[in-house]
Amino acid sequence: MLSFLKKSQHILGINARNLNYLRPSNSLRAIRIADNKLLTKKILRKASLPILQNYGLIRQIKELKGFDWTVLPPTFTLKPNRGLGGQGIVVVYGRKKKFPYPWIKADGRLVDIKDLENHILNILEGTFSLTSLPDIAFFEERIKLLKLLKSYVYRGIPDIRIIVYNSVPVMAQLRLPTRESSGQANLHQGGIGVGIDLGTGITTTAIHRGRLIEYAPDTRLLLKGLQIPEWKEILKLAIQAQIVSRLNFLGVDIAIDREKGPIISELNARPGLSIQIANLSPLADRLKRIKGLKVKSPLKGVKISQDLFGGEVEEILEEVSGKKVIGINEPIEIIDQQGNKYQTMAKIDTGAYRTAICASLTHQLGLNETMKYKKVRGALGLEERPIIEFSFILDKKLVSTEAFVADRSQMKYDIIVGRKDLKQFLVDPSKNVLMSSRALAKLKKS
Amino acid sequence: MSFITQYMVNQGVPQETVILILMLPIVATIIAFGRQIIGVRGFGVYAPLIITFAFLATGLKYGLAIFIVILLVGTLMRFLVRYIRLLYLPRMAIVLTAVALAILAIFLEGAYSGRKGLISASIFAILIMITLVEKFVAVQTERGAREAIILTIETLFLSVVCYWVVTSIWLRNLVFIYPFWIIFGAVIINILLGKWTGLRLSEYWRFREVIKKIELPQQK
Repeated sequence: MLSFLKKSQHILGINARNLNYLRPSNSLRAIRIADNKLLTKKILRKASLPILQNYGLIRQIKELKGFDWTVLPPTFTLKPNRGLGGQGIVVVYGRKKKFPYPWIKADGRLVDIKDLENHILNILEGTFSLTSLPDIAFFEERIKLLKLLKSYVYRGIPDIRIIVYNSVPVMAQLRLPTRESSGQANLHQGGIGVGIDLGTGITTTAIHRGRLIEYAPDTRLLLKGLQIPEWKEILKLAIQAQIVSRLNFLGVDIAIDREKGPIISELNARPGLSIQIANLSPLADRLKRIKGLKVKSPLKGVKISQDLFGGEVEEILEEVSGKKVIGINEPIEIIDQQGNKYQTMAKIDTGAYRTAICASLTHQLGLNETMKYKKVRGALGLEERPIIEFSFILDKKLVSTEAFVADRSQMKYDIIVGRKDLKQFLVDPSKNVLMSSRALAKLKKS
Repeated sequence: MSFITQYMVNQGVPQETVILILMLPIVATIIAFGRQIIGVRGFGVYAPLIITFAFLATGLKYGLAIFIVILLVGTLMRFLVRYIRLLYLPRMAIVLTAVALAILAIFLEGAYSGRKGLISASIFAILIMITLVEKFVAVQTERGAREAIILTIETLFLSVVCYWVVTSIWLRNLVFIYPFWIIFGAVIINILLGKWTGLRLSEYWRFREVIKKIELPQQK
């Protein structure tokens, strides 16, 4: 019980969110902008960030009477300008080809112009607005769904909610609309929230209506393990949106279009807290670590976020498989016959069967005993290469190998590790690919 | 301290009036406590407060009955009116009319079966409850039926708790004897509530899965 109370201090509750983060971080003026979807879009467009296109705007009943319905494509969304929590949004995903050409809503029901007019009237009266004051209705483009997400989504717009604080993304979740949420991605309308590992952009755990789930409802599709494409770009976009909005603590909603890539769909000045359940991870700690940091550029923010909050997926994988996850370039320690360790960088190459080591390096380390020769068919034709025996340590695991000796003096790496010696590892090509040649040279020197 | 309240009563201000005015900060504090510490949301401060005082005027039994009738009729009318596509205010006026008719029917039944407690109830309390129907119907359209039902139950729960507090003889005497201490205390408690950043009780339940997963760094 005591530890339960202690643990619960790491959760960010509504009281703490409002008092510690919303009030001090967000100016009223900035909040007013975020609450106004059209104004937000204008500001984002000015900063040349990608936003969804508008098809039409209705400010008054008079404009509704004169509205040209032919400008609408078969698929669009109808939104109130100052809606609260996704209320009053109609998602239209198609149009019947027979008279009277009704549109098809995300829940499968048909709507005609009269229904839309009625809904717009409600919007104009402020039925869905935060303050119940008269509002503006607008038609917005509906993004083309990614193939990856197509089978997971029930006819709506999935998006990625990223909470950004002080120019660093602190937590992210993928929000999937369901049948009951009528095409909207908001969690309290019945959407699914799937936690995302900030380091890799791979989904982890999922919730629906506050409960943990493994599969998408009514399907056998596993929700974890999905790789969100262009993850770094998405994180960068979220930070840029935060800087432009001048809100120091906010939720950025990003949708991914099949052709146009990531697009900012909305900013939220009061992001919900159930993102903590979707990620099975508390926010309070992460926010405390970011507080007061000076982040110079969006790219730096992405880096900080990935380094501090990423990596959970890897741990899970390592736990399940009992194998270490390594990247394409890894530090390696080669052990010579006296038992001395020589450190360098290795390239992990699952395309090669055997490990290959540079002849100059074997000389230097005194590993000269050739065991046998073997013929290999390489790109340069058939050749015979010597094989030597030695051990190395890769990611804290000792591996003994029979490796080819080759002239690699012109190559970036002195040693490549082939799949024969990678049986204890899983290779993740997205891990530490950014190893620059300068860092490599530095490591070689030391 | 009590001489001011005593003076007012001696000069002909009804004692009930003085007590109810002084009860207002206490009820508001309970509602604030319910929101910040327990996590009972309800419909803001106004609705539970006004329902509490309406219950005082009608008695809990009839108050609850009238309240539930208002809600049921209001919801039913919302569904009926939805099909004739009307603008918001006229639509709401029709809903209110139906609710008023239903209340009239309740009074008719009360008169017929001679329920003294019901037919002598203050009509202003009931009128105020009727106007709340706008709020309930608005929440239904905005947040969906499920959310509206939860919020309604929470509001009712708060109102009933507040009703019990306000009708307690002990507290009534206390308020009358130490009016300023009560007000001072309410202000202090509300300042503390306003600075409270801990989890609400409901959030311990909401985030239970996350809390279970958290690993404490230094544990033996």
